[in-house]
Amino acid sequence: MTCQISLDRINKYYGAYHALRDVSLQIDQGQFVALVGPSGCGKSTLLRTIAGLEGITDGTITIAGEDVTHLAPRARDLAMVFQSYALYPHMTVRRNLTYSMRLKRRTRAEIDHAVTEITRITGLEGLLERYPRELSGGQRQRVAMGRAIIRDPKAFLFDEPLSNLDAALRVHMRAEIRKLHNRLGATSVYVTHDQIEAMTMADHVVVLRAGRVEQQGAPLDLYDRPVNRFVAGFIGSPAMNFIPATVTPDGGHVSLELPGQPVLRFGGRRPAGEAVMVGLRPEHLQTGPSPDAANRLTLPVAMIERTGAQSYVVCDTVPEVMVSAPVRVEDTDEIVLGIDPAQLHLFAPDEAGLRLDI
Amino acid sequence: MLKFTNTFRDGIGFDTVLVVMALGYLVVFSAYPLAYNLLMSFQSVDLFTLTSFDRPFVGLDNYREVLSRPETAMIFWNTVKFVGLSVLAQLCVGFALALFFQLDFPAATWLRGLFLAGWIMPALVVGAVWSWVLAGDFGVLNHMLRQIGVIRENIFWLSDPDVALYSVIIANIWLGVPFNMILLSVGLAGIPKDVYEAASMDGAGRVQQFFTITLPMMRAQLGAVISLGVIFTLQQFDLFAALTQGGPSNASNVFQYWSWQLAFQNYEIGLGSVVSVLMIGFVIAVAFIYVRSTRYEQES
Repeated sequence: MTCQISLDRINKYYGAYHALRDVSLQIDQGQFVALVGPSGCGKSTLLRTIAGLEGITDGTITIAGEDVTHLAPRARDLAMVFQSYALYPHMTVRRNLTYSMRLKRRTRAEIDHAVTEITRITGLEGLLERYPRELSGGQRQRVAMGRAIIRDPKAFLFDEPLSNLDAALRVHMRAEIRKLHNRLGATSVYVTHDQIEAMTMADHVVVLRAGRVEQQGAPLDLYDRPVNRFVAGFIGSPAMNFIPATVTPDGGHVSLELPGQPVLRFGGRRPAGEAVMVGLRPEHLQTGPSPDAANRLTLPVAMIERTGAQSYVVCDTVPEVMVSAPVRVEDTDEIVLGIDPAQLHLFAPDEAGLRLDI
Repeated sequence: MLKFTNTFRDGIGFDTVLVVMALGYLVVFSAYPLAYNLLMSFQSVDLFTLTSFDRPFVGLDNYREVLSRPETAMIFWNTVKFVGLSVLAQLCVGFALALFFQLDFPAATWLRGLFLAGWIMPALVVGAVWSWVLAGDFGVLNHMLRQIGVIRENIFWLSDPDVALYSVIIANIWLGVPFNMILLSVGLAGIPKDVYEAASMDGAGRVQQFFTITLPMMRAQLGAVISLGVIFTLQQFDLFAALTQGGPSNASNVFQYWSWQLAFQNYEIGLGSVVSVLMIGFVIAVAFIYVRSTRYEQES
């Protein structure tokens, strides 16, 4: 696997505002990388710097071994799918698709051949002579994809391409983009604010906050071992519960700051008396029989939401504890939750909230 | 009484009043003068019969008379030159300025506002200012051209038959540029930025973006600006009145000014009507193109 896109200590300022801070990233040939983070975290800016649509203040961008830091977008051989699709409104679908080829003065035969190929891949048959305004959202999305694919670029850049579609179509297009990626063997960089999209589509997820890379790695690594409280809270849905706690004198348990000061074992050792933040994912709070009968919490119930497959139990505590159970929970005033010590995360209670080794 | 007010307010009464007011205005101030003008072009009209409809019909005599006059051909070509050159130059300069102000630089909006100065000034005032600028013996333009060594002798911009028409055209271009620039700026602002970004990702340079994105997406605005430009230029009267009065010996005369001269200076009212009827025909054709181009805009 060769490195296709490499970012080395990218910094970008908008005036005094530091939009990207020391971002370094290696993207291998054929990899699907998701840039994810809350709005304003710099993920779109980062993508646009890769595209060349935004300049950078400092750092180096290398694409396929060539330093492109100061090259114009057109010289970088990347294709981009925009959030708004940015189709050419005055051109038919066919002319939208073939715009790049016509600029390069490719022959009529080459263009026709490519159009046939792309319409087959994207399912745009019968729409070639329509104008973008005559298409539905999903169809426009396909044209935008087709316009990128026809280029056969060094990499695809996606800027929240699904955010304008309705929920059902979004799930469908998610799978389709991923299938297309596998089939073309292309390198893709995908920006989204939706961590589910990032987790389901990408081989490699980069979590950004305030212009800084908080953590990057395989999706499940981020889920299993978040490096800090921000990543822990951002990855996973519903979000992880955080409960302030203190390590007990034996160093192997934590005493939670909840009514009754329940004590949980965490299967490791920390200094006695240390203040910590305990992280528990809603789906790791087991309502059924627990493997460790001693490790349990009994909490008052505020509300139960049932979606059929899942039940969400909101506990009447401060901070609020959320439970996600794959069973139908009956109405009850109290719920008993079992906890696997291996699924208990500890973080520092300060602002940075770094993960504490157990 | 209450019933009447209710009918008026909720029924078709109110609608009727609104329609009648609009139609009434059009009939009194547009349709009636147009029809009256058309009627006069077929009659023998003098100052004594101006206010009565009872005038001798002369058929197409007035038309024959106008078309057979020796100055007609010259004035026709002057009009074509005046409209063609004015509209072309206004469009090019206006478009260039609109593109320039599209760039993001300090005080861009403020400077663009300054360009409106020409637009809000009465054309007669603009004409007076230009007549100073173009004055043969003490004009600023001659002074400048002499200083930078382009000319040795003063050019008599307003009284030399070879240049008089072009002097009016220059003043008219100056007058029309702001309108073109503002309308085209609005059109340019309506093109989404990400379309340009998509084009640059697709490999289009600045020039290619202009010809493949900007120009085709401005089609409706360009159509509107050109047809309105033609109509406004055909209406341009004040500048001729202020600068050359169509002279010397019709060298800078155009149909709209000639029509006025015939009707109100020579009192050949029938002939003046003929000229304006011919112009109305042309303006209607241009207006038709304008309506077509704005309809396209609404559809997209």
